[in-house]
Amino acid sequence: MSPEWMTDAPRPFSKVLVANRGEIAVRVLQAASEAGLSSVAVFSESDSSSLHVGLADESVLLDGDSLEMTYLNGRAVIEAARSTGADAIHPGYGFLSESADFARAVENAGILWIGPSAHAIETMGDKISARSLMIDSGVPVIPGDQVPVEEGADHLGALASAAAKVGYPLLIKASAGGGGKGMRAVSVPKHLRSEFESAAREASAAFGDGTIYIERLLKGARHVEIQVLCDSHDGAIHLNERDCSLQRRYQKVIEEAPSPAVTPAIREAMGEAAVTAARSVGYVGAGTVEFLLASNGDFYFLEMNTRIQVEHPVTEMTTGIDLVQKQLEVAAGLPLGMSQRDVSQSGHSIEARVYAEDPSRGFLPSTGELVVWRPPSGPGIRVDSGVREGDSVTIEFDPMLAKLIVHAPDRRSAIRRLDSALSSFVVLGVRTNIDFLRNALAHHSFRSGGIDTDFLDSTDPSELRGEEPDRPTLVAIAASAQRLGMDREATAIEPVDDHTGHQGDPFRTLGRTFP
Amino acid sequence: MEWSVSDEQERFKASIRESDGSVTVYSMTRDGRDVHAPEVQVEGEGRPGRAIVRVGGSTMLAHVAKSGDTWWVHVDGRAHEVTLHEQGGKAPANEGSLKAPMPGTVLQVMAEEGQRVREGQHLMTLEAMKMEHKILAPRPGEITRVHFSEGDRVEMGSSLFEIDD
Repeated sequence: MSPEWMTDAPRPFSKVLVANRGEIAVRVLQAASEAGLSSVAVFSESDSSSLHVGLADESVLLDGDSLEMTYLNGRAVIEAARSTGADAIHPGYGFLSESADFARAVENAGILWIGPSAHAIETMGDKISARSLMIDSGVPVIPGDQVPVEEGADHLGALASAAAKVGYPLLIKASAGGGGKGMRAVSVPKHLRSEFESAAREASAAFGDGTIYIERLLKGARHVEIQVLCDSHDGAIHLNERDCSLQRRYQKVIEEAPSPAVTPAIREAMGEAAVTAARSVGYVGAGTVEFLLASNGDFYFLEMNTRIQVEHPVTEMTTGIDLVQKQLEVAAGLPLGMSQRDVSQSGHSIEARVYAEDPSRGFLPSTGELVVWRPPSGPGIRVDSGVREGDSVTIEFDPMLAKLIVHAPDRRSAIRRLDSALSSFVVLGVRTNIDFLRNALAHHSFRSGGIDTDFLDSTDPSELRGEEPDRPTLVAIAASAQRLGMDREATAIEPVDDHTGHQGDPFRTLGRTFP
Repeated sequence: MEWSVSDEQERFKASIRESDGSVTVYSMTRDGRDVHAPEVQVEGEGRPGRAIVRVGGSTMLAHVAKSGDTWWVHVDGRAHEVTLHEQGGKAPANEGSLKAPMPGTVLQVMAEEGQRVREGQHLMTLEAMKMEHKILAPRPGEITRVHFSEGDRVEMGSSLFEIDD
């Protein structure tokens, strides 16, 4: 039975399989449950006790010990949908979300694909065809020359001559890429070969596609992207911009809306360009058109992400529109029910990505058990996360633990609220970037809104280091905790209830509560 | 018992006194030398893993948890690690070996036994969480042993290379 709000929908559905893990699987599963839909999770062996599995009505194990056998295994995911009777698949982001082949296979299996058409994914996913389509549609693209380089035996000659045409510094990108994976900056010709090979390897490991392309590296630009929303009745609107200029090695760290660098005139022009881009591929659903914004106000099309983005919450906070719910509505064939005039912007929202990584050791991934995990809460604070206290952080998956999103009346108060929320985010047992995020927020360049995408990579690390801790006081606290036996207290085992077989007071374990 | 904080080498010893569930420090040494004992008073807050810390005139709530030999302490908005060492215990002496800074899979090995390397030379590529990380020579020297080859999984802290000056 599809939910009541779908009664008049041309393509109603009732059970959604979420082909993902971690925080985005949790986000989509919660949206499905809110929308009155049944849900199915898929999981790999090592995720069997993960939050997203507990949250779904049903779950299916994807057997195998590599991503190719599990979360990237389209055939197994479709089989899981078949066996559970799921009539729709939501791909989340990453994994299979931008695989046109998978989208096609889902539709061929008679299952509704919650996303744009395979054609739109294919066109936008191939950076070369996307670029030429944008040129044809009158959307500005990055200056410079580009040549596709297929992974293979004699790619280096073609690569070198293309690089000479484009000029240095240049950027090598995975054609199928995203999230900074498979992306490398090359400043001088002698590094071309090694950076190319490493980008190609990362690309094939992360996306199963080693195709690479190159473009001119623009210095001093900001990363500004437009959220678009399109229905299957020719409705297409944009939900303003997000500024994702605070990046480390092309991996977004802090995102905000609105952008401190975008004027109403730029917003309108960029929004129009984004809607044009989406219309040019007959886009349906939620998508993001990424631009580089130069300091003179000129902007250039970077790429279109044909899926929900990690940073979508800052748009939800400032526009009041639930993007995942809209994805479900549009997939069911319902119209957007709103026009561009209905899109409002309220206050300022900032998202900080909390990673299990160690800024003091070159941001190496850190692992371990989340012995204590206490996300902050309060007015204007939202935490999207896929982990719980007691979970193990391994090297198997992306190191993002949570997204901390705040909403406040203006940028200055949003920064204060985010800093305060970060300071009360207690994570013990695994090193995180929380301190680093606070230090970046406190930096005068970020506060003034004047950063570009190079900010984190080019700023002297000492400026992003906090105050030296008072080590004698910390030793005193630890020695006291040891003396007071506070470790034994924390790990005391509660008796097992005879009736339910659960630990602890049965009233606390009767209902499943998360997190 | 000796203590170290985060990745710092210095070792602390603290003499503490407990009365009525409240702990104070009356003397402290750093690397064997007396330092001013911090005026800290710590007591349990009543719930597991929570301590009331009084420093000077202010009172703060600290979250503490022990994992292995390390106490994780979250106080004043930041998390720290304070590690316990057995008295006189030394860090395992193996000066010449280069340790894995993280767990991962070996993608490429660029150096072989007997090879002389310069400081900062790229010796190995490790992959973890789908990202590549370069292992660089910490100093010039001769590679005397290579412990892993391509495709091997390494644990954090395992010895990757032995380097002789």
